Amino acid sequence: MAMEVTQVLLNAQSVDSTIRKHAEESLRQFQEQNLPVFLLSLSGELAGEDKPVDSRKLAGLILKNALDAKEQHRKYELVQRWLALDVAVKSQIKTCLLQTLPSHVPDARSTASQVIAKVAGIELPQKQWPELIGSLLSNIHQVPAHLKQATLETLGYLCEEVSPDVVDQDQVNKILTAVVQGMNANEGNNDVRLAATRALYNALGFAQANFSNDMERDYIMRVACEATLSPDVKIRQAAFECLVSISSTYYEKLAPYIQDIFNITAKAVREDEEPVALQAIEFWSSICDEEIDILEEYGGDFTADSDVPCYYFIKQALPALVPMLLETLLKQEEDQDQDEGAWNLAMAGGTCLGLVARTVGDDIVPLVMPFIEENITKPDWRQREAATYAFGSILEGPSPDKLTPIVNVALNFMLTALTNDPNSHVKDTTAWTLGRIFEFLHGSTVETPIITPANCQQIITVLLQSMNDAPNVAEKACGALYFLAQGFEDVGSSSAITPYFQEIVKSLLNVTDREDAGESRLRTAAYETLNEVVRCSTDETAPMVLQLIPIIMTKLHQTLEAQKLSSDEREKQNELQGLLCGCLQVIIQKLGASEPTKYAFMQFADQIMSLFLRVFACRNATVHEEAMLAIGALAYATGPDFAKYMTELYKYLEMGLQNFEEYQVCAVTVGVVGDICRALEDKILPFCDGIMTQLLKDLSSNQLHRSVKPPIFSCFGDIALAIGENFEKYLMYAMPMLQSAAELSAHTSGADDEMIEYTNLLRNGILEAYSGIFQGFKNSPKTQLLIPYAPHILQFLDSIYMEKDMDDVVMKTAIGVLGDLADTLGSNAGSLIQQSLSCKDFLNECLSSDDHLIKESAEWAKLAIGRAISV
Amino acid sequence: MADEPFVHPRRDPIKSSVGNVAAQRRRQHAITVAKGRREAVVRTKRLCRAGVSGEADDPVTDGSDMMIDAEQSILEDQTCAAVEELKLSMSYQGKGAVQKRVAALRELRRLLSRSEFPPIEAAIKAGAIPLLVQCLSFGSPEEQLLEAAWCMTNIATGKPEETKALLPALPLLIAHLGEKSSLPVAEQCAWAVGNVAGEGEDLRNILLSQGALPPLARMMLPNKGSTVRTAAWALSNLIKGPDPKAATELIRIAGVVEAILRHLRKADEELATEVAWVVVYLSALSNVATSMLVKIDLLQILVERLGASNSLQLLIPVLRSIGNLVAGDDRIASTVLVTGQQITDFVIPALTKCLKSEHRILKKEAAWVMSNIAAGSVEHKKLVYSSEAVPLLLRLLATAPFDIRKEVAYVLGNLCVSPSEGSGRPHLIADHLVSLVSQGCLPGFIDLVRSADIEAARLGLQFIELVLRGIPNGEGVKLVEKEDGIDAMERFQFHENEELRCMATELVDKYFGEDYGVED
Repeated sequence: MAMEVTQVLLNAQSVDSTIRKHAEESLRQFQEQNLPVFLLSLSGELAGEDKPVDSRKLAGLILKNALDAKEQHRKYELVQRWLALDVAVKSQIKTCLLQTLPSHVPDARSTASQVIAKVAGIELPQKQWPELIGSLLSNIHQVPAHLKQATLETLGYLCEEVSPDVVDQDQVNKILTAVVQGMNANEGNNDVRLAATRALYNALGFAQANFSNDMERDYIMRVACEATLSPDVKIRQAAFECLVSISSTYYEKLAPYIQDIFNITAKAVREDEEPVALQAIEFWSSICDEEIDILEEYGGDFTADSDVPCYYFIKQALPALVPMLLETLLKQEEDQDQDEGAWNLAMAGGTCLGLVARTVGDDIVPLVMPFIEENITKPDWRQREAATYAFGSILEGPSPDKLTPIVNVALNFMLTALTNDPNSHVKDTTAWTLGRIFEFLHGSTVETPIITPANCQQIITVLLQSMNDAPNVAEKACGALYFLAQGFEDVGSSSAITPYFQEIVKSLLNVTDREDAGESRLRTAAYETLNEVVRCSTDETAPMVLQLIPIIMTKLHQTLEAQKLSSDEREKQNELQGLLCGCLQVIIQKLGASEPTKYAFMQFADQIMSLFLRVFACRNATVHEEAMLAIGALAYATGPDFAKYMTELYKYLEMGLQNFEEYQVCAVTVGVVGDICRALEDKILPFCDGIMTQLLKDLSSNQLHRSVKPPIFSCFGDIALAIGENFEKYLMYAMPMLQSAAELSAHTSGADDEMIEYTNLLRNGILEAYSGIFQGFKNSPKTQLLIPYAPHILQFLDSIYMEKDMDDVVMKTAIGVLGDLADTLGSNAGSLIQQSLSCKDFLNECLSSDDHLIKESAEWAKLAIGRAISV
Repeated sequence: MADEPFVHPRRDPIKSSVGNVAAQRRRQHAITVAKGRREAVVRTKRLCRAGVSGEADDPVTDGSDMMIDAEQSILEDQTCAAVEELKLSMSYQGKGAVQKRVAALRELRRLLSRSEFPPIEAAIKAGAIPLLVQCLSFGSPEEQLLEAAWCMTNIATGKPEETKALLPALPLLIAHLGEKSSLPVAEQCAWAVGNVAGEGEDLRNILLSQGALPPLARMMLPNKGSTVRTAAWALSNLIKGPDPKAATELIRIAGVVEAILRHLRKADEELATEVAWVVVYLSALSNVATSMLVKIDLLQILVERLGASNSLQLLIPVLRSIGNLVAGDDRIASTVLVTGQQITDFVIPALTKCLKSEHRILKKEAAWVMSNIAAGSVEHKKLVYSSEAVPLLLRLLATAPFDIRKEVAYVLGNLCVSPSEGSGRPHLIADHLVSLVSQGCLPGFIDLVRSADIEAARLGLQFIELVLRGIPNGEGVKLVEKEDGIDAMERFQFHENEELRCMATELVDKYFGEDYGVED
């Protein structure tokens, strides 16, 4: 029943676009008209040893894409479609796939491996294809090395696709045995050994039980360590990747091996090829990640409640580890600062050094200082750069007490280097280091200030000078200025940089106009720094912030006038529009926060709004998102008068709410609807039918990203608060939605941390909706409309209380809902409330909470319940 | 598919562009700001209603709708106007002067009770304090006193420097606590004084030096529910210490001990809760108070309350009081909690109830009290050991959060040793030890050894020592090895704490030294 598809598949790869398009169209039609035969034909093609390799590869690729997709809902559809296929067809396809594994064509084997894993990913959780793993394992003992290699590759992909809990321990043991045997030094064939090593990487997640058994663990670790010594560089790299993965998955089992691993990694870092050395460094970075997490959990004295104890591997390895990392810093590449994707030994070494500093704190300082002192003044730029980089890397972690005296000495040196060093590499790292100094050692919480009125002027002068340096240096200088400004947040009416405000703004605007501002992300850095300078500015400079508005508006206006752009130019234009909208958002937020500045700002409101409306005409997700955020700030500042913009804005709100694909736009728009509700109150009523329709559609869609759903529920609450009893007509739609979402989110048993976190977000959204609705109806003659919903809401509160996994935010919102329910329904709900668990145990727990917001909500609830019951 | 499908993982470099992070943060900030505004709207609506409904004399519809969403600045303007109005009314001498003053005060009080951020600062700046002090002068009409004290109560909830602005008013507020005042006025003043005392040690000392304690104490003597509750609450703020002098002074005031006893015996749970908090501070700070309270059988009543109540608010101070008393006076175990007495039989089930509760603090404090009882005589140990608490304790040791586990470990550890004479090693109670270990408590202790908390680690090590020494036929050594105890102890090889390092090394050397395993 299969059809001959070789020629079509070859044509689909033709250089002639007419032939190619025609072939693609035929394939699409074939798929639509008869999926089973289509898939069968593809699998036959893939298995056909006499077929051309190109058609076999494409056949496999199309098969793979018929089984899996990136988008969640599409993936779900494909899985359902496969499961619904006729059993005989599926079994024929699977036979073809398995028959391809012994092929002599490497590409065919590899493609088949991946398709088999995809099918397994669908079928094994359904308890289908039970014989798969057994038949793969039987291949292992076959003679041809290439079959063994293909089988190990398949097992590796399979472990990647399938969750460990659907494979029983007996089979896991057999898979691991096969994989580890394949990795063994006795295995003469390098392809087999490489496939086995890569398979182990994916299979580690299956090895929980085996890692708990001393003998099995010793064996796996020995083989993995031996593989790092293989003559084949790819095997060594893959073996180190296994060790990296083990370091995070099985940290608590590492103690017996850590000394050996140190020796292996140290040798690799010093002597091996770069891809291998990078993974060896990554091993220690990963250990740092683990220990930072554990020590963070230790935290205060009372919560020494970590599941895993800290073994202080980094602390013990410190005297040897730090010199090894410092050596790597001298292995820079000439132009790594211009290349955004660069990653080399020096970069990895410095990154690891930074993590080590965060892990051990003060102890690292005496080990690094001699290196800095020895190298920082050397004639070779590599030495000066490495010394500076080392210094910048250890600024997070050690205590200010330890660092401040050193930084006080170093600061002047750094400023001179940034001005005078002949090498742009050194200047780049120097500016970055200054930024790190300001980020971690400057701010209102730091006891001994690094920045004083005496040195502030010099610092700013040097940084502003560097704005004219090479793009990468100027970009780092912007970063330094960003953190310098941030440190002056919350200092009151005047800060040390206030006198330089105008000069700073002018320099940053000049940078944004530089011809080469597109390089090294310089323009973005300049705008974001300008935003931070504005955000952290004081009242004194408000008039200058006001003057910025026409300048930014003019720039935005210019981008809108540009015509007939190439797609490359358009992309740059869009990026700029996003930055300008972001800048306006910060300015609006800043000036809108106090009465006098808000009043002065309002003269620009009409013009700004008309610019934003024009921006919406350009279709770009980031720009929409930024413009929407700015509009939210504008609505808050404008208040009820914002109504005059609604007629024109409305269609863009609707567009935003319909944007399923770029769900961030949808999420931001939902938030802005909330802002507008608070600004307009009942004046939003004429637009509510449209908005509610759209929100309800969003909720029923399975295409919309789930993260948007909680804010949509909160938005129901915002609308109800704004329009009060007029929400009546939406009750019959909104309440059932809330109710079914509440039922889904009441229980989380068996969910992982991520799912619990999402569930809590969802609960919070639902509860905010209920609060808004109750508060909106308060004192209206229509409160009785809500009585039928009360039993379910109370039940929801009881069940999330009993589930014992809500976070503080949900707790506060939940107890508030109890109060709002009692407050609005009064004696109508008195007896219902008294029967609930929430009004006793839950309320008591909240009343004695340490969190004063929870306590406050609880006290409110107690008062409201008291009244509801007493009447 | 010529490219390798295998992706090599890599991390972000430490040296990166500021732009990416900054844009992310900026957007997040914008969203957080909007969320904050939503919360402010909801809170303001609730707090307004709470304020308005607290007063029976005002109709709910007194135009408060307009106020609800008032911007802070409008609120501040109105506050300034209200203070001006008050100033005018003070100089007005004609007909209806009192009503005018009371109306002005009431307006100010309403503004101060109204929003999420009451305009306290604006009121102070506008000069409200001297006017309010003037309103408190002796012989003023009751309603005026009440409203003025109420304003001050609200001002005292502000920031520390705002509370301090009330300094000139304190002598008068204290004066109105006396018996000559009407109960509502005295109660309102007590409330204000309590808020001031809650602000910090400095203000507490000032209040004490100005004589706030005796009149508040006397307010606690009668049986008037709400007055006693407010006075007790204010007192508990006032005697918080850390100086124990106030607590000692309070307990010596005639009638206070009896009043505490009486209220705790008879009062409803809400009142009993406030009184229990007074007892918490008395017993935590003052030895004099502790011994007086012990003498009057207070423990008996506290234990009864602990057994009878299900109110978390009440259980916490009651339990803490019991703990303070038991820990503070070693004679209690031998004089009050005598085995065979009814109270002694009663206390264990009451504590067991708390251990079973869902509430973390309650569990922890109950375990703490029980560890003090288990530290008593051999009879006490037998009593705890044979109670229903033991299986519960064993379960908590295995599953509870760290701080509870630690307290529980003290209980179980205390059950296994008898008081030692001199400074030698404690004597074992072998049958307790063998039975508790056979019920699986050893892993829990070994877990403690692994914790970062020095005290807990020491406790764990001490217990391991007991097991190694006390389980017969060398079974202890095998058990410790089987539960990974050696590994746990070896972690101390590099430990900063010398005592623990020596303890662990000594144990490993003594029991798992070179000869270990030779005979097997």
